[in-house]
Amino acid sequence: MQIISLEGVSKIYPMPFGEVVALNNVSLTIEEGDFIAIMGPSGSGKSTLLNMVGSLDVPTEGKLYINGVDVGTLSDDELTDLRRDTIGFIFQQFNLIPLLTVRENVEYPYILKYRKRDTAGRCDELLKCMGLTENLSHHKPNELSGGQQQRVAIARALVNDPKILLCDEPTGNLDSKTGTQVMELLKNLNGKGKTIIMVTHDTQIAEYAKRTITIADGEIQ
Amino acid sequence: MNPGIFFEFAKRSVRLHWLRSLLAVIGIVIGVAAIASMGMLGNSLVLSISESLSDVGDAIVIYSHGGISQGPSSTTVNDKITQRMLKDIIRASGSNDVIPIYNTADQIEVGSDDGIATVYGLETQDLSLLLDLEEGQFLKSSAGALAGSRIAEEYDLKVGSRVKLGDENLRIVGILEERGMGFDINPDSALIVTDKFFSSTYDQEDYNFVIVKVRDINDIEYVKDAINTKMNRKDDVVDVFDTKAILETILDTFGQISTFTTAIGGISLVVAGVSIFNIQMMSVTERIKEIGIIRSIGTKKNEVLKMFLYEAIILGLFGAIVGALFSFLAGYAVLMVMLNSTEFLFEPSTLVYIPYGMIFGVVTSLVSGFYPAWKAANLNPIEALRYE
Ligand SMILES: Nc1ncnc2c1ncn2[C@@H]1O[C@H](COP(=O)(O)OP(=O)(O)OP(=O)(O)O)[C@@H](O)[C@H]1O
Ligand SMILES: [Mg+2]
Repeated sequence: MQIISLEGVSKIYPMPFGEVVALNNVSLTIEEGDFIAIMGPSGSGKSTLLNMVGSLDVPTEGKLYINGVDVGTLSDDELTDLRRDTIGFIFQQFNLIPLLTVRENVEYPYILKYRKRDTAGRCDELLKCMGLTENLSHHKPNELSGGQQQRVAIARALVNDPKILLCDEPTGNLDSKTGTQVMELLKNLNGKGKTIIMVTHDTQIAEYAKRTITIADGEIQ
Repeated sequence: MNPGIFFEFAKRSVRLHWLRSLLAVIGIVIGVAAIASMGMLGNSLVLSISESLSDVGDAIVIYSHGGISQGPSSTTVNDKITQRMLKDIIRASGSNDVIPIYNTADQIEVGSDDGIATVYGLETQDLSLLLDLEEGQFLKSSAGALAGSRIAEEYDLKVGSRVKLGDENLRIVGILEERGMGFDINPDSALIVTDKFFSSTYDQEDYNFVIVKVRDINDIEYVKDAINTKMNRKDDVVDVFDTKAILETILDTFGQISTFTTAIGGISLVVAGVSIFNIQMMSVTERIKEIGIIRSIGTKKNEVLKMFLYEAIILGLFGAIVGALFSFLAGYAVLMVMLNSTEFLFEPSTLVYIPYGMIFGVVTSLVSGFYPAWKAANLNPIEALRYE
């Protein structure tokens, strides 16, 4: 089943000295359960593509369907709901919320979705699956190592059980050992049916994916 | 529990930046305290004055022209109201009660205590028109006197007590109810004697002033005009005052004072508003990345808006509560000093200025926190995420 489909998608940023074409007429379909690595030089449009698929951004031209919905027709609130319910983000900089504890970071999207606190123990269970001990859950994110933070971020991305995981250089700020651990986790999740789209510069990391797409100058090669 | 998480964000952010939050709160505290305490103070003053004056709003006081320019020590050459003038006043006043009054001050002695007291001389049939008894009875003969509430307390006077006024001995036959400050007579710290006793003791025929009690308060202007036309035809013979007008002038003045002080409170709230605007802008700028994160993982615009508005409300509410406490304490202290009593502080019409001031404080912080919150809510999530 197709979970993501781009039909002639372009993203153009109007700038004072002319337009920047970040994506140029990209067409792409992604099946549920796929694991895709996106590679390409800096500035080629990888993050732009990922943000589009993550419904953080809408195409300037063309059509984008996520989970069967044409995102071009959605309001800002509807796009936000789509992000909350069907997409999990994993960033290079981990991007945990500094004001919240580890457990609260994981719980936050859950509260956004269900309008109540997690009393079923889902957050603790996820943290345990990510190999984080109970006593870490009351720490603030900046008291954790990079690898630990990224695992918290993965737990947070998973808390609403999204169909799609989007990872923008998930191992970019990690050493190769912790990077490998994180990739094993992602591979595991893909094995359980999550569709994963990952941007990376690292060919070794890209080998975890089932297929690799290369972008240059906003176009798929 | 959903709003809870945004409130939690706000609370933690305020706590994290406690110093600058405190500075903004101080502004709100000052503004709320100024507005509330000035309102409370003004209202207490107005209450205390109107209570003292409410029962004399229907009186017209007539002095002989020039008789009013009585200095503190010059009790000698004063024009008085003569019997002839009194007749004219009676004629001009129609069916309203005309009460001629003798007035002086004299030495009194009670046992071993002595001092100076105001003395009023009234005709016996007029006593009940102006005065109310606490105990005892009104004067019937010249051998007695009535004591005002304060003087009775000061000299420990009871019905039956003996008082020496000048060289005469008098027996107290009644104690008066407290009446408060008045513009006609102030009987609280005075002795009241009969007109006969007064004129024989002080050898005075003419009256110091005359009070006209108007039956229908709406007739005041009419009676005043009638007296003026009758008596001040060629030259000014008498000065006519009505206590209602005096009361209104005083209340008006208090109104102006409290408007002025409330304006000062308003200015400090504006300053507080600017500083809240400022720190909220700082809070938003510092947290652009965080806003990008929470937007990207599913927080709606209006939820971000709420989060930052809560921050402003926390500051405003905190300032308002502390300001309310301060205004109460300040009001208590000032009233204690100015009126020697805080009874009017607990009147609902006084206390209402506390929530009133608090609302001003909270609304100020909400208004000044709105633009920063709106800005935070409308950040582009992608650009916010890229922000370092
Ligand atoms: N908000 C924006 N305004 C203007 N131009 C932008 C904006 N965002 C991206 N671009 C431009 O779009 C192009 C693609 O950017 P993008 O971030 O997708 O590259 P990338 O492949 O992720 O690069 P990197 O590997 O460095 O992360 C770049 O030329 C960039 O300058
Ligand atoms: Mg990028």
